[in-house]
Amino acid sequence: MSTQASPASGAAESAPAPGVPAAVSDRWEKWGDRLNPLVVKEVRQGLRTRVFWVSFGLLLAACLALSLIAFANTHDSNYTREGRTYFFSFFVCLALVHFGLIPFNAYRSLAREREDETWSLLLLTGLGPRRILRGKVTSFLVQAVLYASAVGPFLLFSYFLNGIDLPTILMVLVLGGAWMVFLTLVSVCAATLADSRMGRAAVRLALVGVLVVTFFQALTFTFVVTNERGSGFSFDRSFFLGLGAAFWALVSNGWLVFETAVARLSLVTEDYTRHPRRALVAQVVLTFVGMTAMWWLMDRDDDIPGVMGILGGLHLIFATLFMATDVDGQSRPLRAGTRAWTLFRPGALRGFRLSVLLLVGWAVGCGGLLWLSDGSASSLRMGMAQAALALYGVLYLSVALLLGRMPRSGRFASPVSVRLLYILVGVLGAGVPPLLAVFLNLEGRDELLNLLNPVLGTLNFGKFDYSDPSGLKLPPELLLCVALVAFLAAFAADRVLAERERRAHQQ
Amino acid sequence: MSLLEVKGLRRDYGALRAVDDVSFSLEAGGILGFIGPNGAGKSTTLRILATLDVPTAGTVLLDGTSLVDAPDRARPLLGYMPDRYGTYDDVTVREFLDFFARAYGLKGALRKQRVESVMEFTGLGPLAHKLTTELSKGMRQRVALGRTLLHDPRLLLLDEPADGLDPRARIELRELLRALADQGKAVIISSHILTELAEICDSCVIIEQGRLLAQGKVEDLLRQSAGPSRVMELTVRLATQGDEAEALWSRTERTLLEQPRVKDVAREASALRVRLELEADAGPAQAEAAAAALLAALVSQGLPVCAFSPRERNLEDAFMTVTKGRVA
Repeated sequence: MSTQASPASGAAESAPAPGVPAAVSDRWEKWGDRLNPLVVKEVRQGLRTRVFWVSFGLLLAACLALSLIAFANTHDSNYTREGRTYFFSFFVCLALVHFGLIPFNAYRSLAREREDETWSLLLLTGLGPRRILRGKVTSFLVQAVLYASAVGPFLLFSYFLNGIDLPTILMVLVLGGAWMVFLTLVSVCAATLADSRMGRAAVRLALVGVLVVTFFQALTFTFVVTNERGSGFSFDRSFFLGLGAAFWALVSNGWLVFETAVARLSLVTEDYTRHPRRALVAQVVLTFVGMTAMWWLMDRDDDIPGVMGILGGLHLIFATLFMATDVDGQSRPLRAGTRAWTLFRPGALRGFRLSVLLLVGWAVGCGGLLWLSDGSASSLRMGMAQAALALYGVLYLSVALLLGRMPRSGRFASPVSVRLLYILVGVLGAGVPPLLAVFLNLEGRDELLNLLNPVLGTLNFGKFDYSDPSGLKLPPELLLCVALVAFLAAFAADRVLAERERRAHQQ
Repeated sequence: MSLLEVKGLRRDYGALRAVDDVSFSLEAGGILGFIGPNGAGKSTTLRILATLDVPTAGTVLLDGTSLVDAPDRARPLLGYMPDRYGTYDDVTVREFLDFFARAYGLKGALRKQRVESVMEFTGLGPLAHKLTTELSKGMRQRVALGRTLLHDPRLLLLDEPADGLDPRARIELRELLRALADQGKAVIISSHILTELAEICDSCVIIEQGRLLAQGKVEDLLRQSAGPSRVMELTVRLATQGDEAEALWSRTERTLLEQPRVKDVAREASALRVRLELEADAGPAQAEAAAAALLAALVSQGLPVCAFSPRERNLEDAFMTVTKGRVA
């Protein structure tokens, strides 16, 4: 017995199939070698499943039945405007598969790979988590294209029934496609979240819930776009800017989610945080550039940095929840090349520093645009609210890290524990001051008592006060107080994390 | 220089120390048995050796390459088969192997050649077009072993490979592993089926609660575990039938216990197990003389002895002596 085969057997195997010219066969062979192996395997597997053929058959049958109904309803009339109704009906059929089946199957495929431990076998081949995940996502997109090929002709057919124009069809399909890719990426990322059986069950349930809710949201959006076009809204500059912003949100968050999934599946010896952190920084910088361009195009409208400042701040608070709660320290091979300013390397310390930098940087950037808008009291209030949100983000993140990582026991030091602590202190910070105000016979929204309340504090800083000539409910000096508290908490958290990293590296 | 050098390996999970200062080495062409009770740290050690986990401390060198510092360079040199076979549904044997060959970066004719030779080696040729889900456990295990061999690794790490296999499949696996060792591959097998390991392995490592308790060649381990007090075990069978059988067994038991060197007699299914204590410096000749005296005593009593043989110590005995049955 030998695992070494004779060259003759290899030559015999590589001979082209009868009837296929050798050059064509070779080209196919080379092309196949360049393909991601996961794509070949997953598509092959997917096409063998009963689910695929049953879904494909049902999709085709439903579209055929709908087109027969459309034909029966319209063939006697000279002119009808039924196109939008039938387009929407065909789209619902496709959406069931694209927004439900494909993302869920992508989740299940990766979750099973992790459960059965085939994941580690794939890692050992040298493919790497990035290529593996890319292959997984691509294979499900190939399946999505196959489903779309069944519905595509019917969607075009609806155009000939009048009542809907080609740009609307195209826009819905492009946005639908982007949404499907985003959902697939989110599902794949969800499959990396839990390791225990209970955790997996919870994630699965949550994902199904999210898919159901977003399915109806997507259908509502499509219905509005197809039916209200011309009356409710038109394709003007605002619409396209909004569309562009939505598309950017899908693309950039999809990228971020993908990088997060890759990081979660990487081994600790790898520089697993570099790509997701870089993606987040790129997202923040590019969003700021895009926002500035929009602000400029919309005649320096202060609503744009005002709204985006708060939305971006909330997004960053959510992102830092994961970034700053990484484990302490990093593996031996990575330590040598890590400098104080290399914030993309693994470790809670660098994640925390980058989080603070992004939160503060975003608030300063948006505040700058607000200042350049018109310098009115309204801009100042919006700027203060944004700054307060960022400072609360830093403060509560620091408190959660101090509570979780300061004790020597390490009972609450795990990333999950610190995340839960973050949520808990946030909820307590938002809920306790109003309750305390009730006990002290004060107004629930009392400004001073709620100075460190992340919700009411932000609202109070942004509120207009008719009784004050400046229009500010809270003076900027109080914002400085919040900044001082946040700074002290951040400094303490930074020192604690630095000490823990030092101890982790000494082991 | 050894192919694999493990020095001071330690792995902590919080307060729990799963592996504690484990050191051993393995030459090319050697088969090492990794023995320990459940939770002893066998799988953790194998996962570290497979670069799927990182040790808290210690070094692991595979052909001079550090598995901890340069896992990417070491991976092509090792093949890992976990206790789960890790096959996919709706995929044939050939497709499964072809997929992993692609994943290992094998291209064109070379890939086909490797898949064919691995199928030939593992005897999977006739099953090439069968779905992996239709295969028996033994055959699926061969597919998993085939996958491990695709990139021609120098070190094979097999976690409980014989678990759940029928006797025929076990014998076939043993032959496959022997053939691989003959090709110069080093093999590490973790298993709790000790009789199997004794026949396959050249050397063994016994760990308990993450600590290495004993290591060395199988015969050395047996000798060491026997200890300084010489105890000889014998198996006695009687030719008995009918109503008198029980009376004969009792009489034999009594006769044995009356002999000066006999310390213990235990009744097994169809035999008696006798523990005979010898002097500390007793050699093989004295042991044989003591056994002969015992047999003579039984025969002189007219007992129908049909089998009388010394019981060899095996790996199970060594394992039970070395470990205390605790788990981490």
